[in-house]
Amino acid sequence: MEKIIDYINGELPEHEKRAFEERLALDPELRAACEEEKALWNLMAEIKAPAVNEHIKSRFLDTLQVYKEAAAPRPGFLSRLKEIWNFQPQLKLSYALVLLCVGLGTGLYLNRKNHGEIARMSAEVSEMKQMMVLSLIENPSATERIRAVSMTQEIRNVDDTVIEALLSTLNRDPNDNVRLMTLEALTELADNPKVREGLVQSIVLQTSPIMQSAMADVMLKLQEKRSVKPLQKMLNRDDLNSTVKDKVEQTIQEILI
Amino acid sequence: MNSLTDNALMLKVKAGDLDRMGLLFERHYKPLFGFLYRMTADRESSEDMVQNVFLRMLKYRHTFKGNGEFRTWMYHLARNVLNDHHKGNKRHAAPLAQEPGDVADEAPENTMEEQVHLLNRALNKLSDENREILVLSRYQELAYREIAQILDISEANVRVRIHRAMVQLKSAYLKLAD
Repeated sequence: MEKIIDYINGELPEHEKRAFEERLALDPELRAACEEEKALWNLMAEIKAPAVNEHIKSRFLDTLQVYKEAAAPRPGFLSRLKEIWNFQPQLKLSYALVLLCVGLGTGLYLNRKNHGEIARMSAEVSEMKQMMVLSLIENPSATERIRAVSMTQEIRNVDDTVIEALLSTLNRDPNDNVRLMTLEALTELADNPKVREGLVQSIVLQTSPIMQSAMADVMLKLQEKRSVKPLQKMLNRDDLNSTVKDKVEQTIQEILI
Repeated sequence: MNSLTDNALMLKVKAGDLDRMGLLFERHYKPLFGFLYRMTADRESSEDMVQNVFLRMLKYRHTFKGNGEFRTWMYHLARNVLNDHHKGNKRHAAPLAQEPGDVADEAPENTMEEQVHLLNRALNKLSDENREILVLSRYQELAYREIAQILDISEANVRVRIHRAMVQLKSAYLKLAD
């Protein structure tokens, strides 16, 4: 009997298949059982899954594009210089020596310099990065906006203007991936009360299931009690995805414990 | 370009030609959605999970060896995504059992439709393990050899499990039909 389904599936080795068919011809009981199983197997084919929404194809291609651009190495002036350099190996030794001298010289120089000077330079770099974030975050390309968001993680003291720009991106950016990255960056800054407040206020503004779910995760991670009300408000939405609903209910319970 | 095998395409992706992933998506997103939907009965989540499976392929492309079949690797990743989904939904109930229309007295009257309806209910009464092996064999049309690789069990074990699942399905179906 065990072999019936293997026979129907065409999974019996040739010699076993022949032996099974011989038995089938002689044994009416086995034949009836086989017919019954085949009927059930055929009936299973009638249970249809819904057609998949075609938009997931374009959604994936968009994501692939963003992923590709983010993963691509950026060939710039330096890499071109490196290529040229590789053709002139004889110069490498002298270059290394010059570099060593410059390094030693710079080290000595910096050691003597006032520490305040270094702090000022570092602040200037940080300020420059903040300016780049503010300009890139308005860029029409999602990849550039993601770059801007990632850059905030390199800034030591993120100022209020950048925080406001990040919160505004979190609430208004049309791209799910950009908003997700922004949420991640803001979570890193959650020690700042302004960021926490902004995150809590953003809960009710999120409409995509992936963001709603990510928001719930962040609130749970931060154990932010003030998020309970907006999360409950989210539960009242008519268009709330059932999986997200379950998750938010669970999150509320876990935050309240 | 379309004549390239899935393995050849995936090896190109692994080598850095990420655009080829678009073609692999095109070839496989429908059956993959079918598998995930039949395991969860949640259309939106299944669509999200299809995206996640392909994103994992990109992320873990370096682990693709090319000596096994692409399809088995894909279902392997899909099962991991599915597990994460179930873990995220701690209150995960038997899929489809929550579907509207899953009430005995709402069964359609037409005999064939009624049989399909009852069989669907019977299928959803099976354990995840039994339902999964039937879905892989019947709906994804995978050979026992491939199923064995996906589930990391022997082919002999696949035979035993399919037989066991069919016995349970028949018994659940007959009980509902009574």
